[in-house]
Amino acid sequence: MLKIQFDTFTLANGLTVILHPDRSSPLVAVDLWYHVGSKDESPGRTGFAHLFEHLMFMGSRNAPYPAFDAIMESWGGHNNGTTSNDRTNYYEIGPRNLLETFLWLEADRLATLPDVITEEELEKQRKVVLNERRQSYENRPYGRAELAISEAMYLPDHPYHWPTIGSQADVEAATVADVRAFFDRFYRPSNASLVVAGDFDLAEGRALVERYFGWQRRREPPARAARPIEPRLPADIEMTLTDRVQLPRLRLAWHAPALFAPDDADLDLAAHVLGGGKSSRLYRALVFERRIAQDVFAYQGSQILSSLFQAGATAKPGHDLDEIGAAMDAELSRFAAEGPTEAEMERARNTHLADFYKGLDYLQTRADLLNHYQHLLGDPDGVGRDLARYSQATRESVRAAFARALAGNRLALRTVPEPVAA
Amino acid sequence: MIETPAGMATAPVVGPLPTVIPPQATQSELASGLEVVLVPRQVAPIVSAALMIRSGAGIDLPEKAGLASLTAEMLDEGAGARDALGIAEELERLGADLWLGSGRDGSQLSLQAPRETFSEALDIAADVLIRPRLHAADWERVLSDRRTACVQRRDQPEAVVSVVSDRVLFGDDHPYGRPADGLERTLERLTLDDVRAFHAAHWRPNHAYLVVAGDFDESALRTRLDTVLADWRPAPVPAAPPPPPWPKRPRLVIVDRPGAPQSVVRLVAPGTDRLSIDRSGLAMLNAILGGSFTSRLNFNLREKNGFTYGASSSFAFLHHPGSFAARSAVFAESTAPAVREMLAEIAGLRERPVTADELAKARATLLMRVAEGLATTGGIAATFGEIGLYDLPLDEPLRFAAALERATAEDLLALATRYIDPDAASIVIVGDRAAIEPGLRELGLPAAVVYDADGDKIPIL
Repeated sequence: MLKIQFDTFTLANGLTVILHPDRSSPLVAVDLWYHVGSKDESPGRTGFAHLFEHLMFMGSRNAPYPAFDAIMESWGGHNNGTTSNDRTNYYEIGPRNLLETFLWLEADRLATLPDVITEEELEKQRKVVLNERRQSYENRPYGRAELAISEAMYLPDHPYHWPTIGSQADVEAATVADVRAFFDRFYRPSNASLVVAGDFDLAEGRALVERYFGWQRRREPPARAARPIEPRLPADIEMTLTDRVQLPRLRLAWHAPALFAPDDADLDLAAHVLGGGKSSRLYRALVFERRIAQDVFAYQGSQILSSLFQAGATAKPGHDLDEIGAAMDAELSRFAAEGPTEAEMERARNTHLADFYKGLDYLQTRADLLNHYQHLLGDPDGVGRDLARYSQATRESVRAAFARALAGNRLALRTVPEPVAA
Repeated sequence: MIETPAGMATAPVVGPLPTVIPPQATQSELASGLEVVLVPRQVAPIVSAALMIRSGAGIDLPEKAGLASLTAEMLDEGAGARDALGIAEELERLGADLWLGSGRDGSQLSLQAPRETFSEALDIAADVLIRPRLHAADWERVLSDRRTACVQRRDQPEAVVSVVSDRVLFGDDHPYGRPADGLERTLERLTLDDVRAFHAAHWRPNHAYLVVAGDFDESALRTRLDTVLADWRPAPVPAAPPPPPWPKRPRLVIVDRPGAPQSVVRLVAPGTDRLSIDRSGLAMLNAILGGSFTSRLNFNLREKNGFTYGASSSFAFLHHPGSFAARSAVFAESTAPAVREMLAEIAGLRERPVTADELAKARATLLMRVAEGLATTGGIAATFGEIGLYDLPLDEPLRFAAALERATAEDLLALATRYIDPDAASIVIVGDRAAIEPGLRELGLPAAVVYDADGDKIPIL
């Protein structure tokens, strides 16, 4: 059976450590997850987890700005961070001689960041983030729909209501005091897990992690808000947005079970059968045969508190979204009634497995996967459990899962071209 | 204040960079003239193949832009015993990914599959390569989808700035001046016969190079390749005409996007070709200017000034001399100061000598990029695919590493003086013209020439 080899232990201060040696290339990857995402923000203070991620690069006591990037890049290393609704991750990749440096830099910012953060640094990163918002959403075709989906699907008090990038007003209002409070609450060894992967041996890796993280004091993991009740749309929602696009696009969204909950993997397989490539049902019907759509998509957007199942299509010139909507509905209802064929199941399963293998080829993906399982299951050894969900799915379990999701109310979000000024 | 132990106060000592040891690659030639390179790697149970054809969009006639890439795209729309959907279904059953496309200098068939099914997937790849159906009904559909994609490209400021920059830099008559995907009006001139002729002329084993990387049994794979490619016949391949010289270029070009919250900015100037002996030095200069997070451009525009989410630069080293480009997407109101800073940083390569730290950083950055490229199966296939496309020696990664070691700060200064001239750069901006033009005029730039999103100059009425 497929397995990623690793060794795991917990430091006295609560930091979970996972070591994954791989000596096939002279590279190392350090991957540190903090179990905090935009879901842990409050209404009116949105975008904070992500803004904070940017501030993590603004220097720490022993590695003042811009040492973090400058030191590692001087040796050919590079790094980044990403923030989602559920978690924030930071990673460094580089030659093996940088391993100790990576750990030192991560440890120093975990220990000392709030001591050194200044108003000027916050202001700079605020601007960078607002540019990121424009580049990724406001000045990108169909980007406005991306921002609107979560607000429409979740009530204002649900932690997925606001987008991870936050609102412009909230990002502008963030203060240094907010930054310190956020750090104090969530950036604790007991709220993090660290993967070290690549060209080192276990004893060396363990000694280095203990040297740089072991001295940091223990604090209890942050108290968590109670899990919100399962979201539900009280009725179907129809929304229309205008955007700077040539062609209208329809996007349908339903609430769906959370990541790893029953039905989650079945819906992932259903999404593949419906919209995963040329042989999928929506592609065949709308793009290939009827030629009313330029593209189609379907995916199960799995997240920890709850997921969204989404499907959509972009109309070809000369076709409208009523026609697209009717054609999609016909395919979706038929699938809910009949389920996938055995051949479709085989294709969906094999494609999923092949994509999984492909991910395993890259050191950083393996590191991130170990952290993903640790974050989700409290155990990095999740490959077997994860893949079993797919191998155990049946035609009927996929059909039934899809029928249950489709029975809920849905959002139909139309993006239409802005009227052209005369 | 948190007390940190003494061991935290200073940065750890960093040992020497590891040596990059490229994986063992063996080269052979099939009877048809096809060069084959096999590179074993047993980290994940997958196999990646890249078949490179040494003709791409760079030989499309300007008025027929899009032909090379549409030819590639048509090959898996029905081949051998299977129609288009039959191919897609069988590949998915095998968990295989097949990708076909064209860049400037080459066309490519890529196949990636799990170890267990790769051999079966090769049958389909061989059908696609040798026995495409090229039926009229499929052509009509594929062409229509491509036309729509070219219409949609006008929505994407990053894509638009590329189309317009290439047109401005290379001019109307150079094949690099048109997007590889084509334009709405060039697609109208293409026929299925053009596709058949392109396939017959260029998709030939004696004009191709195959790399297979990953987890396979070498002798079994060789036998398989002999069998599935047995019907692929060589033929003389027509030579492409030389491209025209660099045209005269406007200094400032704007593609108007009223109300745009960001300006997408690109500075373009002539670069050099893939085989130039200056390539490694220019790659180092570029790493310093805009090739990493701490590069001069990103540090200035993002970190110092907060104009942008990022700024970078690159050389496109192609068969014919390609472009040098610096790029960013900035707050609309920061457009003029951002352009000023970009020009200043480019000029700075001649004025502010490369420091010893920058030199070491450029070396390490590029060396580790090579190492990372060789650390995945797909990356190995891409690395050796490029070697094949440009007819480079198999030990090109080591030669590149050695050239990085040799380069000095003086060498880089000489290259900057020869290649990098801020006054010769054309500035192309996709943004709100009314909002940004006054500020640009204050920089002393001439009046903007206005282009449309397809790269055509809009006549002044």
